[in-house]
Amino acid sequence: MRSIINRIPGVLFVCTLFLAASCTPGSCFEETTADVKASFYLSSTGKPTAPDSLTLYGIGKDTTRYNKASRVQPALIPLDASAESCSFVIRINGVNDTISFRYSTFVHLISKECGYTYYHNLDDVLSTKHIIDTIEIKLRTITILNEPNIFIYY
Amino acid sequence: MSRTSLFITNLLLFILLSAACSVVQGQNRREIQDSVDIPLKIRAGIDVTGPAIWFAGKNILNAEGYISADINEKIALFVGTGYSDYKYSQYNYEYFSRGFFFKAGVDLNILQPEVSTGRYWAGVGIRYGLSSFTSGTPSFTHENYWGITSSSLESDKSWGHYVELSPGFRAELFKNFSIGWSLSLRKLLYPGTRSDIRPLWFPGYGSGGSVSAGVCYYLSWNIPYKKIRVAIKQEEPEEPPDEEDIQNQGINTNSQSLGGNRPATRFR
Repeated sequence: MRSIINRIPGVLFVCTLFLAASCTPGSCFEETTADVKASFYLSSTGKPTAPDSLTLYGIGKDTTRYNKASRVQPALIPLDASAESCSFVIRINGVNDTISFRYSTFVHLISKECGYTYYHNLDDVLSTKHIIDTIEIKLRTITILNEPNIFIYY
Repeated sequence: MSRTSLFITNLLLFILLSAACSVVQGQNRREIQDSVDIPLKIRAGIDVTGPAIWFAGKNILNAEGYISADINEKIALFVGTGYSDYKYSQYNYEYFSRGFFFKAGVDLNILQPEVSTGRYWAGVGIRYGLSSFTSGTPSFTHENYWGITSSSLESDKSWGHYVELSPGFRAELFKNFSIGWSLSLRKLLYPGTRSDIRPLWFPGYGSGGSVSAGVCYYLSWNIPYKKIRVAIKQEEPEEPPDEEDIQNQGINTNSQSLGGNRPATRFR
């Protein structure tokens, strides 16, 4: 018993270190933006095929998300959390189309280190059909998980 | 004649020594205790970790106290309560959580009665915790391709609950005054809010993950209210094997006799 009592200060010291370490603020190493993950498929073969050239920008925005990017698979399409819909001009291999998303938005806590982000529930996806054949919704909930949400056949 | 007197003298010495030995053995037998008095106590204690962290400027106030009452030398009933006030802010959000918590359960002492003697405790506490708290996010910002979005989450009153295992140690430093520490390993049962905006801090529980851990150092005042006598389990000395058994065991006898008569090791 005496030996146990003699070890109390050491144990208290180790516990204090443990406590101090547990209170040290951490850094955020997680993805914090919930984008629509769009995978491209060739409608003629049905096989996943990234476009040779992809340009994407939001209507009303003066900056591009992708600018003549090659071999993008999947494309990450950000939604506007302050609105219930948003539209993009998408140029696949030099041919323009417009793609529109309707969705609802809700707040999600990622972690103490990363804070909050917005998740979305996808209601509908519409597009013109110059090069796009069809758009198939695979997963309506837009999160930070790396799972495809829509398939774009072109 | 001299041989006869020498024989008688030796016989007398043998009888005297045998008698003395038997007397000493009898005394030893009487000195071994077969029971011990254990004072049962009611304890009131406070955790000093919470105030220490508060003074260190961590923006976390956690004030906690408890009362426990011995049922017997092994089991004590435990009730605890406390208040927690937590604030956190970083570059993209601010958060607060404050409220009361209540814990109830049992403390199990694993020390033998002759070791604990009512003064030492080493064991584990098993508790159920209930927390009532208000949490909110006064502001947060999020930035993506479309720009920066600022918003807030209104404060919300919630209930949550959890279970806790608290292995630890306590020793009576002065008469009726104990110090001790314990680890707290907790499992969240229900966070009180929907999973997308679960609380970052849970009064009595800590960080709002599915499990949490902490350390408590506590001071307690003990009030003895009853004394009980507890029997001490005596170890049965192993009987030496019969000669017949030894002959039957044959060649293995030597190796077994090396440790065969050692008393069993006891946990202390």
